[in-house]
Amino acid sequence: MKAFTFLAPEALDEAVALLDRHGRDARPIAGGQSLLLAMKDRIARPSVLVSLAGLADLRGWRYSPSGELEIGAATTYAALISAQFGGWHGEISAVAADLADRPVRTMGTIGGALCQADPRFDMPALAVGLGASVDTASAGGARTIPAAELFAASGGTVLGPGEILTTVRFPTLGAFSGVAFEKFRQRVFDAAVVSAVCGLRLDADARVADARIVLGAVAQAPVIAQRTGRQMTGRTLTEHDIAELGAAAMEEVLPVSQAMSSFHRYQRELVGVLVRRAITRALDQARS
Amino acid sequence: MQQITLTINGKSVTAEVDERTLLLEFIRDVAGYTGTHNGCMEARCGCCAVEVDGEIVKSCNVLALQVAGRSVTTVEGLSPQRLRPLEHITTQSLAGVYKPLDALGADAKDLHPLQSAFHRKHALQCGFCTPGMLMVLKDYLEDNPEPTREDVRRAISGNLCRCTGYQHIVDAAMDAAQQMRVAAAGADSTADAADA
Ligand SMILES: Cc1cc2nc3c(=O)[nH]c(=O)nc-3n(C[C@H](O)[C@H](O)[C@H](O)COP(=O)(O)OP(=O)(O)OC[C@H]3O[C@@H](n4cnc5c(N)ncnc54)[C@H](O)[C@@H]3O)c2cc1C
Ligand code: FES
Ligand code: FES
Repeated sequence: MKAFTFLAPEALDEAVALLDRHGRDARPIAGGQSLLLAMKDRIARPSVLVSLAGLADLRGWRYSPSGELEIGAATTYAALISAQFGGWHGEISAVAADLADRPVRTMGTIGGALCQADPRFDMPALAVGLGASVDTASAGGARTIPAAELFAASGGTVLGPGEILTTVRFPTLGAFSGVAFEKFRQRVFDAAVVSAVCGLRLDADARVADARIVLGAVAQAPVIAQRTGRQMTGRTLTEHDIAELGAAAMEEVLPVSQAMSSFHRYQRELVGVLVRRAITRALDQARS
Repeated sequence: MQQITLTINGKSVTAEVDERTLLLEFIRDVAGYTGTHNGCMEARCGCCAVEVDGEIVKSCNVLALQVAGRSVTTVEGLSPQRLRPLEHITTQSLAGVYKPLDALGADAKDLHPLQSAFHRKHALQCGFCTPGMLMVLKDYLEDNPEPTREDVRRAISGNLCRCTGYQHIVDAAMDAAQQMRVAAAGADSTADAADA
């Protein structure tokens, strides 16, 4: 590790000012679970670390007056698990409970995972899949970015230096009637080889009113399978339809022409399987 | 350099440390509790697991500064008995009558239920992974007193053991869970009696 100064502000505006003052040499640290690994390998060499752990505003969760679920960016996985959110928001707790391992979940945060933007991590795909957005703060002011636009196609995020992610907002319970996150990994604590998210809303006749399908780990950023999502709308889906949708997602996200290596062909198969599973489970939830 | 204070196994330790000092290094090199092992330094093996304010972390992937002022429990804090320094353990004596508890001057009844279950069920061979296994399982079983074997396997998915093949570790965890339930029930009924 390269030497650094460790600063522990107690308020958001203080943290913003510190990051602004130290410019590109400074980095926020939330749980440190990804950052410290990078610093040990000298892939990251900040000379100033600004800890977000003391910022009360960045921890915990609440429902906004309009019913959005607002989660502080520095909320740990462990806290998300014990929150046991109601309705489809419960999938956020379930995903947090089934990643990394118990000790990593004590420290790792939802905002850290989004800012690290590793395509194999679960939270980026989940946030895009469930139509979340994020609030940020920086010396230049505050802004809100849809999660789908937070991740750069070439990897990483679109956040500027010194820009702090403060809140992750998930839509109201009314936005979906059923959601599901599915992933495949070699061993329980490995990162996903592919992950798939389905969020859908049914109309009064149990037809799909709208649907989102998002894949993780197949590109540098989560991929929205727009065509597959559109194909679902207006239909009462049968098992046969779901199998076709899985195949459609494979073609859309990893067409044969792009699945050149054996690893990508393996991923392509997984896209089909996981999209089927995600749609099936989201439908079950919506119909029950 | 920055001065920090941590409470480790109930004892307050203050030192001036380089900002880069990991919690693992603080525990081992500054406070001298060498039960916490360094197996990988990259959050993979779990040998370095300790509790901070009752929550389990991998101490190789946390800066000491991140947990300044807080209270740490290491494997030495599990059964705060005073152990005799090891004197006469040689390969020879190992091959003959190896009585680890005797060698340490320890009494089985003073051990944490997990430690005594590990002892009874042969849940360790070289013992390198054991401190991490014990700490993660303690943290897990306190929150989940009635696990299945599958649950226990998931709980230790971030802990590597190169010797045992895990079977005996799972056996020991199931056994300890049972003991811990009995102890908790006992504590409850004592509390009830005191209330009455
Ligand atoms: C052993 C291990 C196994 C893992 N397995 C999985 C897995 O199976 N699935 C999975 O999804 N993830 C997995 N992870 C990754 C884990 O999810 C992330 O490491 C963790 O969530 C990152 O959060 P953090 O708070 O520790 O971030 P940090 O490490 O503190 O920060 C990560 C990056 O984000 C920046 N940052 C952090 N917070 C903010 C903020 N609020 N605003 C702006 N920038 C910020 C930091 O500057 C840094 O660049 C694993 C990690 C480890 C160590
Ligand atoms: S030394 Fe910390 S996990 Fe291996
Ligand atoms: S007993 Fe040797 S590594 Fe587990």
